[in-house]
Amino acid sequence: MNFFTQFGDKLYSTFIEDDRWMYLADGLKTTLIVTFFAVIVGVILGFLLAVIRATHDKTGRLKFLNFLAKIYLTVIRGTPVVVQLLIIYFVIFASINVDKIFVAVLAFGLNSAAYVAEIVRSGIMSIDNGQFEAGASLGLNYTRTMIHIILPQAIRNILPALANEFIVLLKETSVAGYIALTDLTKGGDIIRSATYEAFLPLLAVALIYLIMVMLLSWLVSRLERRLSKSDRG
Amino acid sequence: MKKTLSLTAALSLLAVTLTACGSVPANTVHSADDLVGKTIGCQLGTTGYIFAGDVEDATVEPYNKGADAVQALKQGKVDAVIIDSEPAKVFVEKNDTLQILPDPFVEEEYAIAYKKGNDELGEKIDNALTQLKEDGTLAEITSHWIGDEADYVSYVPEDTTNTNGTLVMATNAEFPPYESMEGGEIVGIDVDMMKAVCDVLDMELVVENMEFDSIIAAVDSGKADVGVAGLSVTPDREKNVSFTQGYAVSTQVIIVRKD
Repeated sequence: MNFFTQFGDKLYSTFIEDDRWMYLADGLKTTLIVTFFAVIVGVILGFLLAVIRATHDKTGRLKFLNFLAKIYLTVIRGTPVVVQLLIIYFVIFASINVDKIFVAVLAFGLNSAAYVAEIVRSGIMSIDNGQFEAGASLGLNYTRTMIHIILPQAIRNILPALANEFIVLLKETSVAGYIALTDLTKGGDIIRSATYEAFLPLLAVALIYLIMVMLLSWLVSRLERRLSKSDRG
Repeated sequence: MKKTLSLTAALSLLAVTLTACGSVPANTVHSADDLVGKTIGCQLGTTGYIFAGDVEDATVEPYNKGADAVQALKQGKVDAVIIDSEPAKVFVEKNDTLQILPDPFVEEEYAIAYKKGNDELGEKIDNALTQLKEDGTLAEITSHWIGDEADYVSYVPEDTTNTNGTLVMATNAEFPPYESMEGGEIVGIDVDMMKAVCDVLDMELVVENMEFDSIIAAVDSGKADVGVAGLSVTPDREKNVSFTQGYAVSTQVIIVRKD
């Protein structure tokens, strides 16, 4: 009985007292906003980089852009995201008072773009050269072949890998607390710093991440099933 | 190679331009009353964070490190920083664009935290502290780190064989002059004091560096025997750990940019 009353007290002090659950709710909101916009930045920039790299691989054109893209990939994939976040906050925007959510979206988006780019490129490269030739024989130019024939097939192939990247991104945003942005993890930390109780806040935070990732996985598997329906093979 | 170089040069130039444009806003906080509605930086888990939370309409930004909060203040990202007085002096000394406001908050006492129920250890440390206070060792240690005569010389433990095992101390080496990293080693008043305590107890000191808000949890879960990190005694903390007698008096102060 003693155990349960103690546990009840801890539940109360962790979540109810002083409306501490609000830290988790606000943090969750920030995490979702940052992740959502970072995914958008990552996907747009990532596709752009991938097309540049794949075009160079296939046709040998876009030499200079390919060179820039390669530098970008090397630098971004070669440094930890938390260091990139701190550099954007404390170095690039040193004397500009910029919105922290914007900084986080930029850091995580730019970071994710590098990984998305390589995933998409591998998808494009996995499509048989015959498909390019088929496009050409239908009178489509390179860009239209890419958009209408290659990318739709590539996306279906890389969907699991892309979903994986989004899951990683969602969890990676947990370092946003370094720039005093109150995301879900930091929200839990704030509760922890007020109650000095590690068990419940950390468990709650972990559980919320887990639920979000499971939800995301479920959505992707549905999407995968729908896309494979259109596949006659 | 040449291309890479010129590109790097161009990129760094861009970064510098970005850094240079936009100036740091002028200081708007001249007393504690001015804090209302302002953005206040602090370190998560410190008493400064608790005080900042009590300020009306203020936006509180909890950084993981006190130094990060000070950096944000320098760059105009926050209007003021609330932090313990001694670290504040060190930060201001190193940044000539910052100043400490003259009106401090209430006084508080630093003490050593130990696991609840482990009164045997608590009592031993408490007695050792009393001894160090009486024979002047503590005052001497402090004089090496605070004041005009400070020479930042660490306490040298007596070379005894430590028969009573190890004492693990959890701290956060971001809090000069109490604890900070110096040449790969954690130094400061707290470390020196604990070395002296260990001399009395005939134990070996092991220092564990961690995030400030993890210290109480580390002591509570038995990962560390004591928490010594300029911890002031607060009712919330006393719910989870026990404290020895105080060993230093501190105040929270407000750091702002110079006018």
